[in-house]
Amino acid sequence: MSGRWWRLAARNLGRHRRRTVLTGSIVVIGFIATTMTAGFVSQTFTGLRDVTIRGLGGEIRLVDPRAAGKTDDEAAGFLLDDWKAVAQGAKDPSVVQAMPRLSFFGLVVKGDRSAAYLGTGTDPAMEKRASLLVEVVAEGKFLADPEADEVMLGTGLSKAIGAKAGDLVTVMTTTPEGALNAIDAPVAAILRYPIKELDDRLLYMPYRSAARLLKAEGKANSVVLLLKDRSDATLVAGRIVAELKRDGQPVVARTWLETATFYRQVKLLYISIFFFMGLILATVVILATANTMTMSVFERTREIGTLLAIGMERKAVRALFLREGLLMGVGGSILGAILSLLLRAALNASGIELPPPPGGTHGAPLHVDFIPLAYASGFALMTLTLLLASWWPARRAARLNPVEAIAHV
Amino acid sequence: MTLLVAERLSRIYRLGDERAVGVEDTSLSIDQGEFAVLAGPSGSGKTTLLNLLGLLDTPDSGRLFFEGRDVSSLDESSRARLRREKMGFVFQAHQLIPVLSAEENVAFALWLRELPEQECCVRARRALRDVGLEGLETRRPGALSGGQRQRVAVARALVGEPALILADEPTASLDSATAERLLDLFVDLHSSRGVAFLFSSHDPRIVERARRRIELRDGRIVSDVTAVTAVTAIKSGASGGAS
Repeated sequence: MSGRWWRLAARNLGRHRRRTVLTGSIVVIGFIATTMTAGFVSQTFTGLRDVTIRGLGGEIRLVDPRAAGKTDDEAAGFLLDDWKAVAQGAKDPSVVQAMPRLSFFGLVVKGDRSAAYLGTGTDPAMEKRASLLVEVVAEGKFLADPEADEVMLGTGLSKAIGAKAGDLVTVMTTTPEGALNAIDAPVAAILRYPIKELDDRLLYMPYRSAARLLKAEGKANSVVLLLKDRSDATLVAGRIVAELKRDGQPVVARTWLETATFYRQVKLLYISIFFFMGLILATVVILATANTMTMSVFERTREIGTLLAIGMERKAVRALFLREGLLMGVGGSILGAILSLLLRAALNASGIELPPPPGGTHGAPLHVDFIPLAYASGFALMTLTLLLASWWPARRAARLNPVEAIAHV
Repeated sequence: MTLLVAERLSRIYRLGDERAVGVEDTSLSIDQGEFAVLAGPSGSGKTTLLNLLGLLDTPDSGRLFFEGRDVSSLDESSRARLRREKMGFVFQAHQLIPVLSAEENVAFALWLRELPEQECCVRARRALRDVGLEGLETRRPGALSGGQRQRVAVARALVGEPALILADEPTASLDSATAERLLDLFVDLHSSRGVAFLFSSHDPRIVERARRRIELRDGRIVSDVTAVTAVTAIKSGASGGAS
């Protein structure tokens, strides 16, 4: 029975085609803006997440329980006694690799020049696979031999001591027991790290070399786990911690998201911008549609009066105008979805290169993600917005006095 | 049998301190199958009274009975139901829905009763045939002449088989020949269907053809004469004069 009312509502939208097309265009543009922004933001999140995780070397860091709740600096002195045992205990089907990381600091010297550094001992092969360091090699070659005494320096640090790839430098540090120790090591590579503060202090060397320097063989600040699927991090972390606890190897797990303050801040900022943009869009759509519907009610005043006179219920008059709004919302959203998908395909095929994401080193080709939730939200947003915009004009139409409405000029 | 009874209806409009009488202390009754006209000069209260009798407006005082039932205090929804089930309306301008065909415009009155589509179509076509518009069912109002549009409006009023049709100045926007044909149609429909017609008009052609003429002035009925009474009065007058 209601089919006839939907038909009538659809035909009413055709009374002023130009006006309907203009209002519909606002809905379409609103829908496209929502879905494209969501797709672009999603790509940015993905890029930023990758950079964050690769900066950390993996999704999960297993640390000594004493380091729980402490910052990296505060936790530097709490070492895992046997990183291999921890790595062995972290054998989970989701884990691709378990890499030791040993943090230390001191002075690096070349000739009569020296500078303070922040050092990391790592497994070269695993580091190469998991982190972004390999992408920032500006000069020389990435660490290759896990047994060799060699270093990679940030550009800022290398400049401070006037070192280049192939030069011999002396790395000095204090062992956990307080003894001074040093080794001579050739510079394997110079790294152009994207964050300047780190680039001025960065020093990498093979884990074994670092362990010898610190006299901390077998120990590590953390074991970094690289996972097959990033979304599993919390689940896998819980599983591994429980497993290690059973094995008498208590550890604390920190997922990448817990550590990635910058990622969380950027995400919050983008979501706030996205929400604000949605609010502006909804307001524009409401104003435009309400104006259209109000004009429509005004122009059809005599007709509405007649409908009321011949026995149409007020709620049916209201429903008729709401149907018109709903149809425009649904129609505009469907057209918006089609155009959005076409535009997305065109942009993704265009090969446009984007600048690196915050903290990233390389730009990436523009890729707008397909986010089904954004399409569903866009559909709901536009439809509800149109319903809301139609509500007052529909209410006004339904409250007309038939006698006055019929006499309306 | 009495269809509609109005008891001392009043409708006063107030604009600030000004008081304008629409209808004042007016009583009348309309029987089934009547063909009556509310006549009088502009501002005499014809349309106001028609709106009150058609439940489009609410009186300030007085009572209204339809088929013996007091309908004065019905709520909005019940009044709408009574209008769509028992009454038909024809207005000065046809007031058709421009995006619907002639058939759909007529069927609209049945849509409001939520009748099945097939029944609506059949009855709407029959009503259009009855008003002489067979073959024009699919045309939209924009493709019809003024007279044809008014016939569609009449068909819309008739299709629900109401007991009473209220027509407010139905010929006012028509040329003379078209108005005559429409009046012929009203007379035919009245004769063939026995539905009561109540017009509001100062068109002398309608006033001439009406069986009952209710004359209003300043919101009050000043005369109420049926054709038989008029003839009787003339005859009485003639015989009185002779005696």
